[in-house]
Order: sequence, then structure tokens, then C-alpha cells
Amino acid sequence: MAFVNLKNKLIQVKIVYYGPGRGGKTTNLEYINRKFQHRINSEMVTVKTHGDRTLFFDFLPFDVGLVNGYQIKIQLYTVPGQVKYDATRRLVLRGVDGIVFVADGMLVRRETNIQSLRNLQENLASYKKSLRTLPWVLQYNKIDLKEQGIPMMPIEMLEQDLNQESPRPYFPASALEGTNVVATLKKIITLTIASIRKELL
Amino acid sequence: MAKSSKLDTLTSELENRLDELFREDGQPGEPLQFRDARSQPLAELKKIVLSIDWEITPEAVESFLAQIRLLKEAYQADKIVSMFLQILGSLGQYIKSNRSKAHPSTFSLLNSVFARLEEITSFPKMRELEKRKLLQMEMTAYQQLREKISQRRAADEAKPVPPAPAKPPAIPAASEVTAPMLAQAVAELKEFFRSEMAALRRQLKLKIDASR
Repeated sequence: MAFVNLKNKLIQVKIVYYGPGRGGKTTNLEYINRKFQHRINSEMVTVKTHGDRTLFFDFLPFDVGLVNGYQIKIQLYTVPGQVKYDATRRLVLRGVDGIVFVADGMLVRRETNIQSLRNLQENLASYKKSLRTLPWVLQYNKIDLKEQGIPMMPIEMLEQDLNQESPRPYFPASALEGTNVVATLKKIITLTIASIRKELL
Repeated sequence: MAKSSKLDTLTSELENRLDELFREDGQPGEPLQFRDARSQPLAELKKIVLSIDWEITPEAVESFLAQIRLLKEAYQADKIVSMFLQILGSLGQYIKSNRSKAHPSTFSLLNSVFARLEEITSFPKMRELEKRKLLQMEMTAYQQLREKISQRRAADEAKPVPPAPAKPPAIPAASEVTAPMLAQAVAELKEFFRSEMAALRRQLKLKIDASR
């Protein structure tokens, strides 16, 4: 649940990037941090393994500033995608307000995407939350790999696998090149703040 | 009606603020490091090693072995690198025949051997003696793994077949965290931290030696 201080007019939201291992969650945050560091004026905290994989989570907090009289603060998190770190993933989801599900567009990752989405649903259920009620968007990552001749899933297939039940906004993206990274972020922030504000008004 | 108008104002103000904050002024951001990594000779192998760490699929293991063969040809003049590739190849063959039943230490050794190989190839000025020392350490670890595997095989063969349990043990609910589960997770993490710290120490030492 977002931290809302009506007296000080402060809203702090937690957005989690979820998805299979090596899907590009950390790359999303790294792109945002690198490209907009001079404006968001923040530090990204990351704990990686020796092999460059996310062990606990990445954390990128920043202030959006004053909007409609409210000071808005955003906290972006990623979870470790590897199957073995399920307890950490569940912990990072505690108090989540919005989710970006980063799916890997490579054909060989089809099953892992589906498993990861199922795992997200299970972990949310342990907090009595559901994808039916939470604001979330999908990002179909790695579209740049098509140029290298790597077999990719068509959008229709990704949509059919991951976005059938109450369809949500989706973004074909390349986190490595920055394509649609910002569009994804803007969308999830807007949806999340709108959902929180709806409850307050 | 008033509620909806307030929401519209908020949304449009927020969108404007976000546009301002994340304005992409046409200048490409600094390329991320992974892009450069693609052109490095070990980049493909690294991807496959990480892929095996994520999930052991027959395709990943086959790609791993194929990549090792290619690298062996490319590095045939370098004896130390060839030895590292030899160890990686043997580990790959073992994983191929045992898949998820492979000894758990196999994967940490695979990562460790690969990390050393990466260190050696990324520090061209590294002294021969230092390279040999690293190779020796990995060969010792490899030897130890082989012994562990033999011991496990011997123990498995000696083990009597246990009688079938009368009642299957209760599986805890997904949200339930039991004390033994927690203890096991802490032990895994401790072991993980120990190996990470050791790897970092070694890398730091190498950098210091290289800068001298």
C-alpha cells in the first residue's frame, strides 16, 4: 500500500519490475538511471552476484515533484528473476502499488514468461492482492534481437500467453537501446497514481 | 462528476510533469556495457553460462559445448586458456549427462572457472605466473568436485532402499515459512556470500597487482 501523508500532501508509491530471469528488468532501471540521472538526481542501489545477476533487488527512488498539490515520490524495484530466489521476490512485492511485467520476447523464453507470470500471481495472492485489481502493464522486451536473426515471439503470441484476462497496456521494447522504456515507466506511474488517488478522493 | 474532473486534472498534470522529467532530447544515452560485451569473444559463452544457471535445458548445454569447441580453436595457441576451456568442457559434459541431478557444486564451479577465464582474457598484462596460479586453483577445485561426485556415487550405491513411507509428509502452504526452511535459506545465503566475497577478493587483488 502506498505511503500517503495527507497532512504533508505526500504520496510515495512502490513500483516493481517483475519477470523471468535475464528478461531485462535491471536493464530498464539502468537505462532510466543513466539517461535521466541529471534530472532525477538519484542513486540506483543494486546488489549483484559475481556473474552480474540481481541477487536481492535493484532500487531506484526519485521525486516526480509537485503534482496537483501533492509531492510525489516513486520507488522502482526489480526482483531477481531466477527461480531459486522466490522468497526474495515475494518479499520485494510486499506493499507493491504497481507492476511492470517484463517479458522476454525470445521464442525460447515462452514457457519461462508464462511461469513467471503465474509465480507473480501466486506471490501476490500471499498478500491478498491480485492482478485483476492492481495497476500493471506489460513490456515485451528484446525486440532489437530480431535484427540478429534470433527467433522472436510475435506480439499476438505474447498477448495470448500473458495478457488475456482483463487486457492491460503493453509495450514492445528494447531495454538495452531504451526503446519504450520511458513510455512503460510513464504509463505505470500514471496508472498507479490514478488508482491511489481514486481511493483518496 | 467533480471526482472525475479532479482525476482528469491530476492525470494531465502528472503526465506533463513526467514528460518534462523524462524528456528524450534525441541524444542517445550512453550505451550500456552489455552492448560492448557482445563483441567480446567470451560474451556468447557468458550468456550461455548464465542461461545454464537459470535453467538446464538440452539446448543450452549443447550451445555451451559448441561454444567451447569454437573457443578451443580460437585459443589453441594459448595453453592456459585452453586448459580452462578443457575444464569447462568436462563440466559441460558432466552436466549434459546428469542434468538437474548433477552435484550442486558443479554450477558454482562452472561459474567460478568461467569468471577466472574472463579475468585472464580481460587483463592481457597479467603475468604468466599469476595466470598459472589461478589455473591451479581451479584445477584443484575441479579435482575436489570429482572426488565429491565419486563419494556421492559410492554412498548412493551403498544406501539400502528405504521402505515406502506410510503417509506422505505434509507440504507446507506456499505462504508458510517454517523454521527449517528459513535455516536452510540462511545457510544457502551464507555460503553464497562466502563464495562471492572470495571471488571479489581475488578480482581486487588482480587489479591491484595489474596496477603495480
